[in-house]
Amino acid sequence: MSTPTLAAPVGQRPTLSPEVRARSGRGHPGEGRAAWILAIPFTVLFAAFTVWPVVQSLFMSFTDTRQRDLRTPFSVNFIGVDNYVRALTDPVFVKAAANTAYFVLVGVPLTLAVALLAAVALDKGITRLRSVYRLGFYTPVITSIVAVAVVWRFILQPESGLLNTVLGWFGVQGPNWLGDPAWSMPSLIMMAVWRNFGTGMIIFLAGLQSVPYSLQEAAAIDGANGWQRFWNITFPLLRPTLLFVSVTTAVGYLQFFEEPFVMTSGGPLNSTISLSMYTYNQFGYGNYGLAAAMSYLIFVVIAVVTALQFRLLRENT
Amino acid sequence: MKKIATALAVLALVLTGCGRPADNPSAAPQASSTIAAGPATGELTVWAMGAEGENLPNLLKDFEAANPDVKVTVTAIPWSAAHDKFTTAITAQKTPDLAMIGTTWMGEFAGLGALDPTPSSIDKNAFFPGAWGTTEVNGTSYGIPWYVETRLVYYRTDLAEKAGITTPPTDWDGLKAMAKAMQDKAGAKWGINLQPGGTGSWQTVMPFAWSNGAQLNNGDAWTFDTPQMSEAVKYYQSFFTEGISNKAPAANETAEPSFVDGSQPMFISGPWMMSAVEKVGGKGFADKYSVMAMPTRQTSASFVGGSNFGVFKNSQNKDAAWKLVQWLAQPEVQVKWYQLSTDLPSVSSAWQDPALASDTKLATFGTQLQTAVAPPSFATWEQVAARFDAEIEKVTKTGADVDASLKTVQSEAQSIGTGS
Repeated sequence: MSTPTLAAPVGQRPTLSPEVRARSGRGHPGEGRAAWILAIPFTVLFAAFTVWPVVQSLFMSFTDTRQRDLRTPFSVNFIGVDNYVRALTDPVFVKAAANTAYFVLVGVPLTLAVALLAAVALDKGITRLRSVYRLGFYTPVITSIVAVAVVWRFILQPESGLLNTVLGWFGVQGPNWLGDPAWSMPSLIMMAVWRNFGTGMIIFLAGLQSVPYSLQEAAAIDGANGWQRFWNITFPLLRPTLLFVSVTTAVGYLQFFEEPFVMTSGGPLNSTISLSMYTYNQFGYGNYGLAAAMSYLIFVVIAVVTALQFRLLRENT
Repeated sequence: MKKIATALAVLALVLTGCGRPADNPSAAPQASSTIAAGPATGELTVWAMGAEGENLPNLLKDFEAANPDVKVTVTAIPWSAAHDKFTTAITAQKTPDLAMIGTTWMGEFAGLGALDPTPSSIDKNAFFPGAWGTTEVNGTSYGIPWYVETRLVYYRTDLAEKAGITTPPTDWDGLKAMAKAMQDKAGAKWGINLQPGGTGSWQTVMPFAWSNGAQLNNGDAWTFDTPQMSEAVKYYQSFFTEGISNKAPAANETAEPSFVDGSQPMFISGPWMMSAVEKVGGKGFADKYSVMAMPTRQTSASFVGGSNFGVFKNSQNKDAAWKLVQWLAQPEVQVKWYQLSTDLPSVSSAWQDPALASDTKLATFGTQLQTAVAPPSFATWEQVAARFDAEIEKVTKTGADVDASLKTVQSEAQSIGTGS
């Protein structure tokens, strides 16, 4: 092999010896080969288990693939965007989209508010038994949804449930929480907030503790009251934390699945069926093409929502 | 740019390689004629689900004793994972020799070409006709019905007496009058516990439709929008509009507690509910309730469920596999299995055994099985059923117009197709 002779720099720079040049630059082809060989295990795994499923599912979404085609995944018809059109004109899919929007638009702000409230309370208000409360608030996050669902079904029982019994003490006739189409979604939102605010709380707590005390002190000396200090100092400094928590919560909520799956099976009258759950059902029926198209529609929505949040909550510009 | 061009070229190549092969005019699969004489030999692997999977080895000890040269390995699979496991196995051609198969999977598995047609030496007339129907896909039978279940009306005899009813009604009007009397005279909150739509509610609605002469399909066409179907669904709806049945039960409510405390003294369900209500009701409760046949319109019809047993095409030991299937269908083996598992025999002659015939409630199930009907074994049935369930829910809970709902089901079902 021939090493191209570099035009010798005029005086100042010392010429590199060939070995050094090869190591630092794009010289030695043998090393390139070695690099590829070393990268092969990862590349193969990545291609087989990450790239290929994505490519295949995308491909599937443009074909009429059904369960019976599994043995011969390529002998299917290419049908363009038919699956996407079918999904968007399916009344149940549209209903599921509306339910998901309801869940996200009400659930995410509520979860953030409760999480922030709990974090502030733990940071400032509650001093005794702080770690007990912190553990208590976080426990729902790590508890199995199946166990939680059983307990919540008892709590939400229309006649003998804990919630309606307590409401009854105050003379309020509680609704049939999970059985009434108007109340089933609020019930699930309530449960989701209870189950998920712990994560946000822990992150907010970390964010709150990173707000420099000197700033608070300076504002206090200037006569700012507690609320003003929170709103003008703490809250702006929490922006990155808020962005992170809202994005992760929204992405999670957009894919909400477990709550209706274990609590209501999407009912009553499809009032709690979510996009993910409906997609899951379609996979179950073997309509792989249609279900893949639905998954990509959800993916697009998540991407758009996340981009929007980044836009709205990014540092002042 | 170059990369994109290459990618597009590859994609184009892949896509042009696609497309379904033209349907070859496939002759109906021929049944492998007969099962050879003599004992079974070799190794067999069997998959079975749930409690059946755990119980089956106990039954198969007898088969191994009768066929000393055979070795049977049973793999128990949980129901929740079974469907995926089967489809994966079929795709990978790694199926067991034979397996217990859910009746609603027959169309799908047979459509995948995974099942071996039933040999002609297995006598279809030995089985209940409705149950045998679940093994047939496009006119060819794949396997046998292994055990069955059907639905009857459960009612509280003590409360019925209070309501002035001593002989159970036999027709639609009688059933409704009885439920109403339970409410008016026996202090029940709801006359009869009927499922207001939701998953599986078609199993309670269709017996009425079948009894009225309605059918789910006529060949490859769905028939939801017939007058017979409409009349049956309107009858079902009337229980809710007249306040005889609860249209807004709590989520995941079970029938046992309200049956035992008398607030809902009637419901429609399968044989497993006998032990369930007796467990909740405690000692002596068995004398306080009974079961009756589904009320008659043109006929008395019910839904037949259960599980089938089938042999896979890939099996290397088909002869022994079919011998095992044949053995499972013997009346005395069916009775033995009932005693081991309480699964009801699919072979009608097994019901003459005193173990079954001496129990009057059980005998009523046996009678109902003679006329019980199964839904068509289309691969898409579960999907269509889910749409039907959703419309039943609208009809019962919101009082939606029955004919409009059935028209919706019909058009949705037609667009889903039969999967063939």
